Amino acid sequence: MDKKKLLFLIEIAIFSAIGLILDQLSFKLWAQGGSISLVMVPIVLMAFRWGVSGGLITGFLIGLLQVAMGASIFTPIQGFIDYFIAFTVVGLAGVVRHLVFAASKQLNKKAMTLYIVLGTTLGGLLRYIAHTTAGIVFFGEYAGDQNVYLYSIIYNGTYMLPATILTAVVAVLLFTSAPRLLQQQN
Amino acid sequence: MMEKMIFGRFMPGDSFVHKLDPRSKLLFVFAFIIIVFLANNPVTYAALFVFTLLVIFVSRIKLYFLINGLKPVIILMAFTFLLHIFFTKEGELLYHWKFISIYEEGLKQGIFISIRFLVLVFMTSILTLTTSPISITDGLEVLLNPFKKLKLPVHELALMMSISLRFIPTLMDETDKIMKAQMARGSDLSTGPIKERVKAVVPLLVPLFVSAFKRAEDLATAMEVRGYRGGEGRTRYRQLKWDSKDTLAILLLVAMTALLITLRS
Repeated sequence: MDKKKLLFLIEIAIFSAIGLILDQLSFKLWAQGGSISLVMVPIVLMAFRWGVSGGLITGFLIGLLQVAMGASIFTPIQGFIDYFIAFTVVGLAGVVRHLVFAASKQLNKKAMTLYIVLGTTLGGLLRYIAHTTAGIVFFGEYAGDQNVYLYSIIYNGTYMLPATILTAVVAVLLFTSAPRLLQQQN
Repeated sequence: MMEKMIFGRFMPGDSFVHKLDPRSKLLFVFAFIIIVFLANNPVTYAALFVFTLLVIFVSRIKLYFLINGLKPVIILMAFTFLLHIFFTKEGELLYHWKFISIYEEGLKQGIFISIRFLVLVFMTSILTLTTSPISITDGLEVLLNPFKKLKLPVHELALMMSISLRFIPTLMDETDKIMKAQMARGSDLSTGPIKERVKAVVPLLVPLFVSAFKRAEDLATAMEVRGYRGGEGRTRYRQLKWDSKDTLAILLLVAMTALLITLRS
């Protein structure tokens, strides 16, 4: 197996582990429950470093690991979306990768900030949509004929909005001050 | 926190359930999640509840750990229960006080939903309490094998999962060390305004990430020189073994499914 592919697999594995650790750590740092966490930071990093595929696989792996460590599954569809889709789609932050790199090369911090925020927001928004959909499935099954859309949008919004903002801020601070994190080793 | 991260929620033991093959446990829980939805009357919900209690008994897990697993979802459970109590307006009126009225059907649905919630949380908890994350990975790899035909890189994913699980304790240690080092330099992660705390995260992440890249590079080199070349023909250290216990567990679930289908209305 060629070294680059091997490095790709291993970096993703290690950064998925970091994702889980950051997810737990957030409890300690701001005692808001684990949901407003930095779990998306490694996904975004891999998405910028290796492109969309890197981000998608990192997200997918984080979902898989959470299932292996103990997941909350209430219906098959909700479980599938919450664990196999929701984290995976965060990896789509990588679509702005070349824009981030171009801005970084020109040392244009403003443009870099803009694109990092754009990518992270896209990833966070897609995850929000995924969790909301899973929530609609859940409430549809468990809450009877209530207005399940509203519940799900509000419930998931309470943590997804702050989590996305937090991830965007940390990603900007991190990648503008240490852009070498995004560069692959040769 | 360390221990929680290393083993997930795994509690070693030697009960019947602990000794089952991870493949049969995964199949069992996956099928259970589906058959729960067959229940639709008091008898079937009671059957599900008794069945779950039986599995808990056989697994010899202390109830304390199961209740603990309930904590993160208890609010959601209470919320769905109250929704039914207050908003289902069918059947006989049981209780009325000012604007609150509770109907028979609402109470019934509330109890049903809570039972469904409980049995699902308990059953998935039993899986992760009796099976280490690494065994679950091995089991998943085999069960997901059919998806190889759809070009899902099953072996690679399982390899990555094992690497992640292997590195969680190491990286946890490292995170702890870096946090202490930064605290010694006066960084404050847990008090002060949010803005300052978020800023303090960066000097924690940069060294963590840099050393993680170094580790990845070292591991890639190590695997390369040992001639790693993917899944085909690779032998394994941990062997899975399916025996009569596993068949029995699956048969039990089939019997439960048949029972639910007969008793449901």
